[in-house]
Amino acid sequence: MTPYAPVAIFAAVAVAAALAFSLLPGLLAQRKPNPEKEKAYECGVEPTSAIAGRFPVKFYLIAMLFVILDVEAASFYPWAVQMHALRMFGLIEMGAFIVVLGIGYAYVWKKRGFEWR
Amino acid sequence: MHADLLPVALANYVALSSVIFFIGVAGVVLRRNPLIMLMSIELMWNAANLLFLAFARAWLNNAGHIFAFLVITVAAAEAAIGLAIVVIVFRSRANVDVDEIALMKG
Amino acid sequence: MPNFITHQDWLAITPLLIAGGGALIVLLVDLLWPKHSPRAVSLAIGIGVLLAAGAFAATTYGRSYNAFNGGFMLGGFAVVFQEIIVLSAILSLSLFGTFGRDDRMAGITALLLWSTTGAMLMAGAANLMTIFLGLELLSLALYCLCGVADRAASQESALKYLILSSTASGFLLFGMALLFGATGSVTLASLMLPGLAANPLYWMGGGFFLVGIAFKLSLMPFHVWSPDVYEGAPLPVTAFMSVVTKAGTLAVFARFAYALPAGGKLLLPFFVIAGVSMIGGNLAMLAQTDLKRLLAYSGVAQAGYMVAALAGASALGMRYAIYYLAAYMFMNLGAFAIVAVLSGEREEGAQIAAFRGLGQRRPWLAAAMSFFLLALAGFPPTAGFLGKILILAATVNAGYAWLAALLIAGTAISLYAYFKVLRLMYDPHDQPAPGPRTSAPLAYAGAALCAAFVIIMTFYPLTPSNVLPLVK
Repeated sequence: MTPYAPVAIFAAVAVAAALAFSLLPGLLAQRKPNPEKEKAYECGVEPTSAIAGRFPVKFYLIAMLFVILDVEAASFYPWAVQMHALRMFGLIEMGAFIVVLGIGYAYVWKKRGFEWR
Repeated sequence: MHADLLPVALANYVALSSVIFFIGVAGVVLRRNPLIMLMSIELMWNAANLLFLAFARAWLNNAGHIFAFLVITVAAAEAAIGLAIVVIVFRSRANVDVDEIALMKG
Repeated sequence: MPNFITHQDWLAITPLLIAGGGALIVLLVDLLWPKHSPRAVSLAIGIGVLLAAGAFAATTYGRSYNAFNGGFMLGGFAVVFQEIIVLSAILSLSLFGTFGRDDRMAGITALLLWSTTGAMLMAGAANLMTIFLGLELLSLALYCLCGVADRAASQESALKYLILSSTASGFLLFGMALLFGATGSVTLASLMLPGLAANPLYWMGGGFFLVGIAFKLSLMPFHVWSPDVYEGAPLPVTAFMSVVTKAGTLAVFARFAYALPAGGKLLLPFFVIAGVSMIGGNLAMLAQTDLKRLLAYSGVAQAGYMVAALAGASALGMRYAIYYLAAYMFMNLGAFAIVAVLSGEREEGAQIAAFRGLGQRRPWLAAAMSFFLLALAGFPPTAGFLGKILILAATVNAGYAWLAALLIAGTAISLYAYFKVLRLMYDPHDQPAPGPRTSAPLAYAGAALCAAFVIIMTFYPLTPSNVLPLVK
C-alpha cells in the first residue's frame, strides 16, 4: 500500500457516490411535470419575475478592471520585499512592467473603456 | 522530501486539493451559467495552487511558490478576459445561460 | 550588482521581445494616430515585426542556448518550431485584408502578435512554468481574437473556447502540480530521474498533464471545442489557430515525451487517442457542410498523424513530424487563403456550397483549392503524401505498426471527404453559384506563397538534422 492509496480510494468513493446520487433519481423517480410544479415555489407566493435578478453590464466592466489592477498591485509586493536585494535590476524590471501596463491603460482610456455608460 | 516540516501529512493536502479540483470540474460540467463556470475554473486552478504550495513546503523548493504566484496572475488575466467575453456575448442578449447559446453544436 | 539575467538569456528571448514589444508599438501608433490608425499601417507593422522576429530567431539556429536556468532552451528544435509559428502568423495576418472592422485592426494585430509570442515561448519552454506561461499567453490572446467579429457566432465561439480551454488548462496545471510533487522540481529534466515509476503522483500528474495537452491539440475524445470554435471565429483567426496552437503544443508534447525514460508507458494511451483521432476526425469530415468545420476535423486527424510520428521518441520521428507540420502549415493556410479570397465580411465562402461550380467560374482558384485539398488528403505526388510516407516509416521503425495501419485507414477515409468538395467544384451539371468578388491582394499572395512552398517541399524534402528536443 502506497501512502496515496487512501487518497485514491477516497476519490473513487467520492466520485461514485456523487454520480450515484445525481443519476439515481433520474432513473428511479417518476416525473409528471405540470406548470404549477415547475414554479420556484410550488405553493405560496406567485413569482413575479425571474429568480436571479439581472445586473447591468457596467458592473462587470468595473469588476474586470478591478481584478486586473488588484493583481497588478499584488505583483508589486514581492518586488517591494526584495527591493534591496534586487537593486537596479529590479527597479528597471518594474519600470518596464509599469510602462507596459501604462500603454494598456492609455489604450483603454483612448478607447473610452472607463466611461460609465 | 521534508514531509515532516508540514503540520499535516502531505496526503491530506493532495486529498483536499483533489476534492476541490473535482468540485471545479463538476461545476464546469453541470452548471450552465458562464459566470459560475468561470468560478469553477478558478476553483480548479486554485486547487493546483494549493498543491504547489504544499509541495513547495515539502520539498523546500521555492519554485512552487513562484509558480503559484504566476498562476494567480494568469488567473486574473483569464478572469478579466472571461468577464469581457461574457459582457460582449450578453450585451445583445437577455439571458446569461449557456443553454441559450445553441447556435452551434459540437 | 548581481547578475540576474545573463547576456545569453537576453539573446535567447530577443525574438520574443521583438514580437511582444512590436505589439506595444502597434498599440502606441494607434493611440497617437488622430482617429485610429488605418488597417494597412497596423498590418504593415505587424508583418514587419514578425519578419524581424523570425530573422533574429533564424540567426540562433545551430547554437543551443540554455537560458533562465533551463527554463527556456533554444536549439535546432525550438528554432524550427519558432520559424513555423512566425511564418503562419505572417500568412494569417495577410488574410486580414478585408475581415474585421478597421478601428479594431490595431487591437487585432497586437493580440495576434502576443499570441505568437506565447507560441514561440512554448517552442523553447523546458520547464513547467515557461510551458504554462507560453500556453496561457497563446490562449488568452486567442480567446479575444475569436470574439472580434460582430457576429453572434463569433462571440459565442469565444465564450466556448474560453471555458473549455481554461478547463483544459486546469487539468494541465493540476498535472503540473502533481509532477512537481513527484519530482520536487519544475524542470522537465527531472522527469528523467530513475525510480519515478514507483511514485503514484508521477502517474497521476502525467495523466492530467497529457489530458490537457490532448485537449489543446484537439485529439479525438477531447476535440469537441474545435469544430465550433473554428466555425465561429473569424476566418484569419481560425487559420492562425489551426496551425499555431498545434505547433506550440506539439513542441511542448515533444519535449515532455522525449524527456521520459524510453518513451514510457505513460504515453501509450496518448498514442491510442492519436490513433482514434486519425479515424474519427476523418470520419466526422464526411458529414460537414461548412469548410471551416471540415478543416477543423481534418486538423483533428492531422494532429493525430503528427503525434504518431513522435511515437517511440526517435530522432527520425521528430524530423518527420517537423516536416509534416511545415507541410500542414502551407497546405492548410493555402486552403484558408482561398476561402478568404471567396469570402466577404459575412464569410459566405466558408460554406461548402459556395464552391459549387467554382471550376467554371474561377478556374485558377479552383485549381489551387484542389491542389491544397489533395495535398491535405495526402494524394501523391504532393508534400502531404511524402509527409505521410515519412511518418509511416517512422512509426513502423519505432515498433508502432498499429499506428501506421490506422494512419493508412484514416487517409483512405479522408480521400473520400476531400473528393466530395472537389466533385462539387468540377461537376459540369452544377450551376455556378454567384459569389462575391472581393479584391484581397494579400490573400492571393498568401495562397500563391503557400502553393509554391508545398511544391518546393515536395521536391526538396529537407529536414534539419539536429532537432532533438533538449531538456538539459
